[in-house]
Amino acid sequence: MRRLLSLASAAALAASLAAAPAAFAKDVLHLYNWNNYIAPETVKRFEAACKCEVKQTYYSDNEEMLAKLAAGAKGYDIVVPTGNALESLIKQNKLLPIDKAKIPNLKNINPAYLGTRFDPKNEYSVPYAYTITMLGYNDEKLKELGIPVDSWAVIFDPKILEKIKGRVTVLDSSSELMAAALKYLGYSINETDEKKLREAADLIKKAKPYWAAFNASSYIKELTVGNIWVAHGYSNDIFQANLDAQAAGRKFRILHGLPKEGAVLAVDSMAILRNAPRPDLAYQFINFMLDGKNSAELSNLIGSGNPNNDALQYIKPEVKSNKAVFPDQAVLGKLEQQQDFAAKDRRYRNRLWTEVKVK
Amino acid sequence: MKRPSWLLYAAAIVGYLFLYIPLAIVVVYSFNDSRLNAEWVGFTFDWYRKLAANDEMIQAAVNSLVIATVTAFAATVLGTMAGFAMHRYRSRVLPILVLTPIAIPEILMGVSLLLFFVLLNLTLGIVSVMLAHIAFCIGFVAIVVRSRLAGMDESLTEAARDCGATPAQAFRLVTLPLIMPAVIAGALMAFTLSIDDFVITFFTAGAGTQTLPLVIYSMIKISVTPEVNAVSTLLMLLTLVLIVLASKLAPGTLRSS
Repeated sequence: MRRLLSLASAAALAASLAAAPAAFAKDVLHLYNWNNYIAPETVKRFEAACKCEVKQTYYSDNEEMLAKLAAGAKGYDIVVPTGNALESLIKQNKLLPIDKAKIPNLKNINPAYLGTRFDPKNEYSVPYAYTITMLGYNDEKLKELGIPVDSWAVIFDPKILEKIKGRVTVLDSSSELMAAALKYLGYSINETDEKKLREAADLIKKAKPYWAAFNASSYIKELTVGNIWVAHGYSNDIFQANLDAQAAGRKFRILHGLPKEGAVLAVDSMAILRNAPRPDLAYQFINFMLDGKNSAELSNLIGSGNPNNDALQYIKPEVKSNKAVFPDQAVLGKLEQQQDFAAKDRRYRNRLWTEVKVK
Repeated sequence: MKRPSWLLYAAAIVGYLFLYIPLAIVVVYSFNDSRLNAEWVGFTFDWYRKLAANDEMIQAAVNSLVIATVTAFAATVLGTMAGFAMHRYRSRVLPILVLTPIAIPEILMGVSLLLFFVLLNLTLGIVSVMLAHIAFCIGFVAIVVRSRLAGMDESLTEAARDCGATPAQAFRLVTLPLIMPAVIAGALMAFTLSIDDFVITFFTAGAGTQTLPLVIYSMIKISVTPEVNAVSTLLMLLTLVLIVLASKLAPGTLRSS
């Protein structure tokens, strides 16, 4: 009996410990974000401005974040989902409707990035930054071989692949690779027509023997080392690969190649959770991040695309002049955002993907 | 006595190389003057300097150590009790209750614990992670302790009882010292399982609570920097010191008999 009592008191102690931080906490903003997705100096400046502390928790995949929030985890104020994850959060009623009067800097956002189909009136979200899925390539090698990297043909056309066999990687992601193949064929990335999807899968199967690997995690390194000459990847990663190549004193550079057929645009937005402990700080943070100078720091750090007009003047010229990451209006029209698929479409796509992977 | 054949030596060497080369590479690259874990460029302490300035990762490492230590302690006490009870009472239900957490998929356990904590309105944080870790480590400790008890000579306890020891005294003075190696092994196992657990931690950690595996995993997208090598090297060093210390302080405890 005594043991039972001591167990009970231990449990009570644990519970009170758990509750204690909330009782004496100073002002804390909990940011649920991607890793390395805000510049450390920006965080410091915001902390000084709001006289609060920013605590970040990270996820490396939208699904991780959705799963955790769906299960009922709370305590986060702001979350930074990508388009289709934003849609899920809105449907699940997890987000707080935004009072635009509290975010005067909203005027800085380029209207081209507002009113997406995920949140047509921006009732719940404010664009934060974006990446484009494209090709990263070794400029020295590709110039030598005389291959221009301006089309998805580089990773799908056997005639071109013949010359770079075993030096190409593609993303290990059904949605990204299918999107590239669909774009190359002139279709939408969100195509649901089974015949067109089948066509895309066949294209992938024909090109697969020429690829070195499906690689979503270490292609930055492979590009930098020089093992891989063309990688299907995210614009931020290609930027990082080039920085690493420069730091390692390589003779070649890793450049961005945005296919003329169009590509996948992934816009990450800031949103406030409905059960946020500190919506006041969340508003303050969003407004702060929409200030051009603060917003520019992320682009300067990781080479991300920036939907903020006011930020452009603070972005380093070498980042801003990159037409692949800051495309012209005409090219921008060819970029598409990924939708959530209906269960039936997802099953069909999964089946095609399995075929592609096992062949 | 026959000397073991060279084949056995060769197999042992290959086995140990397989185990230790990856660790050696982690250590070596923590001193590499390049962000890439790919080629040797030059010697540097930069990553340790960067690590020292990286409050976030240090906090995560401290959290991991605190959680693992508390988990190891609590799971060992509870697991030893569970193992003893399973051995002693030969109940059918008890082993199922104690050992199920080992068998069910981690992701299921993570989600269900999260739902449970949310239901209890417990603020997610270090404490919730500890509770979760203790819950899944008890079973491992219990298994080790029970198998040790199964191999123990029952008559020793009976002799102690004959000589007038109370059941508690018999346990403390006879049984416990005999099963000590299993208890220590269980504790080490709980420590290791706790310090590198990702799935359950991911679900039960709250806003602002990071452990080392969580931080490292979230870095995978942008490729892991050698700061991770540096912090891993320091942790390895710490573990090594602890093991050496343990074997110096109590030479018998790490041996199996």
